[in-house]
Amino acid sequence: MGTNSASATGMNIKAAGGGGVGSGGGSGGEDTNGGGGSGVIGGVGNNSGGTGAPAGMNNQQNSAPQYTIPGILHFIQHEWSRFELERSQWDVDRAELQARIAMLLGERKGQESLKSDLIRRIKMLEYALKQERVKFHRLKYGCDPPQLNEIKPPADEPGIGSEVAPDSEVPYSSVSNTTWRQGRQMLRQYLQEIGYTDTIIDVRSNRVRSLLGMNNNAEQEENVSPNINGSENNKRASESQGRRTPAKKSQPMNDAMILDTEAAVMANFAFLAQTDVEMSDDDDISEDLDMVTGENEDSDVKTTKRSKGKNIIMGEDVDAEAKEVLNELNLLTEGRYEVSEEEVDASLGLGELAQLTVNNEAETAYDVSNTKESAYRKTWNAKYTLRSHFDGVRALAFHPEEPVLITASEDHTLKLWNLQKTVPAKKSASLDVEPLYTFRAHSGPVLSLAMSTGGETCFSGGLDGQIHCWKLPNSNIDPYDSYDPTVLRNTFEGHCDAIWGLSVNHTKGHLVSCSADGTVKLWSPDVKVPLLNTYSSELEGVPTSVDFVRDELDRIVVAYNSAHCIIYDTETGKQVVKLEHTKEMSGNFGKFINKVISHPTLPVTITAHEDRHIRFWDNTSGKLVHSMVAHLEPVTSLAIDAHGLYLLSGSHDCSIRLWNLDNKTCVQEITAHRKKFDESIFDVAFHPSKPYIASAGADGLAKVFV
Amino acid sequence: MKMADGSTILRRNRPGTKAKDFSRWPDEPLEEMDSTLAVQQYIQQLIRRDPSSVELILTMPEAQDEGVWKYEHLRQFCMELNGLAVRLQSQCFPSTCTQMTATEQWIFLCAAHKTPKECPAIDYTRHTLDGAACLLNSNKYFPSRVSIKESSVAKLGSVCRRVYRIFSHAYFHHRRIFDEFEAETYLCHRFTHFVTKYDLMSKENLIVPITEEENATPGESEA
Repeated sequence: MGTNSASATGMNIKAAGGGGVGSGGGSGGEDTNGGGGSGVIGGVGNNSGGTGAPAGMNNQQNSAPQYTIPGILHFIQHEWSRFELERSQWDVDRAELQARIAMLLGERKGQESLKSDLIRRIKMLEYALKQERVKFHRLKYGCDPPQLNEIKPPADEPGIGSEVAPDSEVPYSSVSNTTWRQGRQMLRQYLQEIGYTDTIIDVRSNRVRSLLGMNNNAEQEENVSPNINGSENNKRASESQGRRTPAKKSQPMNDAMILDTEAAVMANFAFLAQTDVEMSDDDDISEDLDMVTGENEDSDVKTTKRSKGKNIIMGEDVDAEAKEVLNELNLLTEGRYEVSEEEVDASLGLGELAQLTVNNEAETAYDVSNTKESAYRKTWNAKYTLRSHFDGVRALAFHPEEPVLITASEDHTLKLWNLQKTVPAKKSASLDVEPLYTFRAHSGPVLSLAMSTGGETCFSGGLDGQIHCWKLPNSNIDPYDSYDPTVLRNTFEGHCDAIWGLSVNHTKGHLVSCSADGTVKLWSPDVKVPLLNTYSSELEGVPTSVDFVRDELDRIVVAYNSAHCIIYDTETGKQVVKLEHTKEMSGNFGKFINKVISHPTLPVTITAHEDRHIRFWDNTSGKLVHSMVAHLEPVTSLAIDAHGLYLLSGSHDCSIRLWNLDNKTCVQEITAHRKKFDESIFDVAFHPSKPYIASAGADGLAKVFV
Repeated sequence: MKMADGSTILRRNRPGTKAKDFSRWPDEPLEEMDSTLAVQQYIQQLIRRDPSSVELILTMPEAQDEGVWKYEHLRQFCMELNGLAVRLQSQCFPSTCTQMTATEQWIFLCAAHKTPKECPAIDYTRHTLDGAACLLNSNKYFPSRVSIKESSVAKLGSVCRRVYRIFSHAYFHHRRIFDEFEAETYLCHRFTHFVTKYDLMSKENLIVPITEEENATPGESEA
C-alpha cells in the first residue's frame, strides 16, 4: 500500500508527461499490486493520471510569465485542493483494498472449513472401511472381530501369503489368540487376493494421518499468534494416531511402497495442496492488512481457527479411545459434518464432495472411485425380484413413466408388475413383487416385447408367429379381477414364423417386427390394415434383431444372421447403409448378432455378438467405430439409457454390465441370473424416466435394480 | 438349433431360430446338467422328445429328490395349462359358463379371493393358474428349486386338485378344445398319471375318463 501511493505521488509531482505517463504509472501501480482482481486499483491510477494532466498544463502556462502574488497564491490553492482530492481518492482506494482483504479473508475461511471437512470425510471413509472389514469378518466367522485395526502380532509380518489358509469353517467360539490370528491371516490373504495388502492399507493410512497431522501443524505455525492450547492438543492427537500403528512394524517397510503410496496420497490431495498455496498468498496480503485493519477481523480468524482445532482434536481424542466411544463419535461427526457440508456446498458448490459421499455409501466403491464422472455415479443394487414365470423370461419392457414393467416368458404368458406393490420378503435385501395381470394369448413361448410411447399399449411377439397388441390394464388392478377380453386389442397377421424382435418408433408410433420367416415388417398399430411395408434380404438370410434408427425417423436397422446389419429406408424400402467390417476375419459365424440397438441421439448403432463382443458402428459410413470384448460369454442383450450415456449389456455368462458410453469402460457388473441349458440372460432394460434397470433370465426370474 | 463349436454343443435358442428348430438340440444326460434347473431341463427335454410317452416322462431318475421331482412336474403342468386357458378364452365366456362346473354335481368356488367366490369358469381358470404361479414361485414356500421342505410339498396336492378342474371343465363343456389340446400335448393323460402315481389326488376326484380302469364317478370336492 505504501509503495503504491508513493509511486502515484511521484508521478503526479513530475507532472510533465501528462496523460501518457499517468496511464503508465497507473499500469505500474497495477503491477506492484500483483495478484488477481486489482484491476480496480489500476483503473483508479489511470484516473488520477488523467487529473494530473490538465494540472501540468496549468503549471507550464504559469511558469512562463512572471510570478505574481495572487498567481502564486492561486497556484498554491490549486495545488492544495489537488492534493486534497488525491488524498480523498487514496482513502477511497484504501477502503476498496480493505474490502477486498476482507473478502479474501472470508474466502480463506471458507477454504479452511472445506479442508477440515475433507479431513473429516477422510476419517469417515476410514471408519467406513473399518466397519466394512468388521462386517466382512462377522460374515465370515459369525462373530465380532477383536479390534481389527489394532496392533498385529509381529510374527505375522513375514508370513504373508506363505501360510496355508486355515479352515475357514471353524466356528469362532472363543477369542483365543490362535484363532484370532488365523482369522487375521485369512482376512489378509483375502485382501491380498484383491490387491490390497494390509501393509499397503496401513502404510496408506499412516501416510494420510501424518500428512494431515503435518498440515495441521503447519497451519498452526502460520498463525500469527498461535493458539498454544490448540497446538498442544494437536500434538497429543497425532501421537495418539501414531499409537495405532505400532512402532515395531512400521520401520522395515519397502521404500518403494512408501513412495508409491505417498505419490498416491499426494495425488489424492493435490487439490488440498492447491488450496494451501492460495492460502499462503492470502497470508501475504493479510500481513499488509494488519497495518490497515482494526483488530476485528484478525481476532475473527483466530476464533475460527481455534474452534476448528477443537473439532479435530475432539475427533482424534475419541479416535484414540475405546471402540464404543468411536461409534458415538461417528454419529457425532456425521451429524456435524452434514451441517458443514451444506455450508460448503452452498458457498462453493463443490461437486466432488457429493461424489465422495456417494462412494462412501457404495459398497463397491473401490472399483468405481477413480475421478471425474461426477454426474451419475451410483451403484445399482438388486431390489425387486419378479418371480411368477414358470420358464425363462425372454423380454421385458418398462412403462415410460410409472414404476411398472411387463415381462414376456417362454411359459406362453406376459405379466404386468407394479413395483410399488411388493410383498414383504423374508430376507429384507430384496422385495418380491407379485404380478398384477397375466396376458394369455400366445400359444407358445413369447420372445419379444415392445412398449408404446405413451405406455397405454404394448406389443408382444411369439414363437407362434403372432404379434399381439395389448391394452395395459390399470396399474392398480386387482390381480384376481374378472377376465376382460378387450385387453387383447389387436393381432397383427403377416408373419409365419417366430417373432424375435420388436421395436416402436416413439414419434410416429409405428412398430417394426423381425421374424424367423426372413422378413421385417413395419406396422401402424392404429389403422385398420396395420401392415405398412415388408423388408427382406435374400442375401443376408434371417433377421435376428431390429430397431428404429433414433436420429433418423424413417430408417430401421436390421441385424441378420449373416452377422451384418442393414439400415433400410422405411418409405422406399431400399437399403441405405450396410454396417460391415472391412477386414472380416475367418468368416462370420462367431460374430452372430444377438441384438441391435440404436443410440438415442447419435448416428451410432450398437450390436451384441455371439463372440462376446459389443461393436459400435457409424450409421453414415457403415464403418466399425469401436469393438470390445464385453463379457465372458455371448452378449445377448443391450439397452441404452434415455440420455445415451450408459449402456447395459446382458450375457449368457449370467452377468449384466453397465458401461459408460463416453469412455467405453465397465462401470459395474452384477451377477443376476442362473443358467438353464447354455442360456442365462435374455434381456436388459433401462426405465425411460426413473432410476430402474432390469434383467430377465432363463431361470424364469426378472430382477429390478435401483 | 444346434451349434457344434469344436466338440461342445451349445444349447441355445438364438434370435432368428425358426419355430420348428426351437429347443431342438441333442439331449443332454441328466448327469451332465450342472444347473440348478437341471430337473426342469430334463423334464422339458423328455416332453419335447415325445409328449405321449407319459410313463417315460414321469419316471423319476435315480437319486432324485421326490419333492423336487413332483414340484418341477407341477410347474410344467401349470405352464402347459396356459395353452388350454388360451384356447378356453376364445370359447368359454362368463355369459355361457357362469360357474366353474364339470358335472352337475359340484360348483367350484374360486380360492384366489379372500372369501371363496363363485367365479365364472374362465375367471376361475385364470385365477387358479395365476394363484398357482404365485404359490409355486413363492419365495416363502419354495425358496429353492433343489430342495423343498416337507411342509411345502404338502401344498402341491391342493394345487393339483384345483388345476385339475380346468381339465374337467374343458372336458365336459368344451370337448372339442379339450380333444384338440389333448391330442397335441397328452397333458391330461400325463397329469392324471402323475397325480395317481404320486398319490396327490384321490381317485374319485379324477372325473375325466382318461384312465382305462374307471369311468366318471364324481366325488366330493370343494374350493
